[in-house]
Amino acid sequence: MTDPTFRAGFDAALETAINTALKYDPGTRARLQRLDGKALELNLTAPPLQFCLCIEGDQVRVRGHWEGEVSTRLTGSAIAFVRLLRDPAATPAQLDVSVSGSSALLAELQSIMRDLDIDWEAPFAQLVGDMPAHTVGNLLRDASRWLSGNLRRAPRAAAEAVSEEWRLTPPQAQFEAFVEDLADLSLATERLEARVQLLKARLRASGENFSRRGAE
Amino acid sequence: MKDRKTTHFGYQEVPVEEKAGRVADVFHSVAARYDVMNDLMSGGIHRLWKRFTIELSGARPGQTILDIAGGTGDLTARFSRIVGPKGQVVLADINESMLRVGRDRLLDRGIAGNVVPVQADAQYLPFPDNTFDCITIAFGLRNVTDKDLALRSMLRVLKPGGRLLVLEFSKPQSRLLEKVYDQYSFRLLPFMGKLVANDADSYRYLAESIRMHPDQETLKQMMVDAGFVDCEFHNMTGGIVALHKGLKP
Repeated sequence: MTDPTFRAGFDAALETAINTALKYDPGTRARLQRLDGKALELNLTAPPLQFCLCIEGDQVRVRGHWEGEVSTRLTGSAIAFVRLLRDPAATPAQLDVSVSGSSALLAELQSIMRDLDIDWEAPFAQLVGDMPAHTVGNLLRDASRWLSGNLRRAPRAAAEAVSEEWRLTPPQAQFEAFVEDLADLSLATERLEARVQLLKARLRASGENFSRRGAE
Repeated sequence: MKDRKTTHFGYQEVPVEEKAGRVADVFHSVAARYDVMNDLMSGGIHRLWKRFTIELSGARPGQTILDIAGGTGDLTARFSRIVGPKGQVVLADINESMLRVGRDRLLDRGIAGNVVPVQADAQYLPFPDNTFDCITIAFGLRNVTDKDLALRSMLRVLKPGGRLLVLEFSKPQSRLLEKVYDQYSFRLLPFMGKLVANDADSYRYLAESIRMHPDQETLKQMMVDAGFVDCEFHNMTGGIVALHKGLKP
């Protein structure tokens, strides 16, 4: 069994991180306040860990041991939980997450997490002042935009390099034309085969007629 | 000459009636810098020990909690938030200086309304029977002259089904850790006490009193003997500290 000191340390660190982030997102804090008193129990299968997120006012308390009422209980992997809370299209069934209790709390938390808008510039401004924080914030935002744009474009650019620059694969248009020609050829072959079969059948029929007349 | 009954005060044997006064002197001396020293001595880990204690208390809004030897009010502050305006937390300490520091600190943090400071001896708790849903005593039991008497007093004022949590220094579970801990307690601790609080003797007493305190199993048996049921303990930080829990039947 894990020493309760380490476990309490983990819970305290997670709680501090969550509440520090929330400090810079008043909108989310206001929405959390409406869930005051609710508790979400998370049973992680990978890594194996169990804890409860209790909403107290506009704060989240992380408890390794909770004897109070649990509003919603989730069981699944850590990655699945993150996807469930962040990905609007994700559903518990898709991610192999089992849900018991109120699904309304889960839906509300999903909505809150998707709308999360933490002003990271604010804590930095408290340390170094408004102007430097804003300048660094702009640089980071530009870098983030550039990075996310490039990441979005990366698959298409890689495909073009492989086909157009290095000629390792045919270009997509050429490949599609080839597939179309192949389909036409396949169809024409099938027609030809059908025609040959028809001609064979006719030849057989006329051969049989000729033999019958000869016998008569 | 009639033999006088004695008890231990750290490694010294002192007459029973003197112990409370001597312990009081120690805490009068350390009260002003108690929090700083706690953080320094434990590297801040005492906050995690207390956090676990709060979780195991199962405290709920509206409950009545007694925090014995509450000192500077660490547990009381957290209980006050949990029990809310309909509940009540009694911050009790035998030592006037500690109680005053605790009360002032709570007020400075805006914690008031549901907290009542009471100067009280754990052996003779001045409350009616079946008053509290939960009692905690953190790092206080080892300073009590008659621990059995104190445990029975706590049982009396607990409601049936109520729980007692004793957070106290205990016996490390590994030999290596015990040796390191001894060196730390008897060499570094008095030195830090001298440096920060200008009071090496008080911190030497703290180290000695920890060694004289009953180990995990003994304290658990003492709780059973006092009348508690479902007694259990959780070792923390390798047994340097243990949290004992018992219920009033």
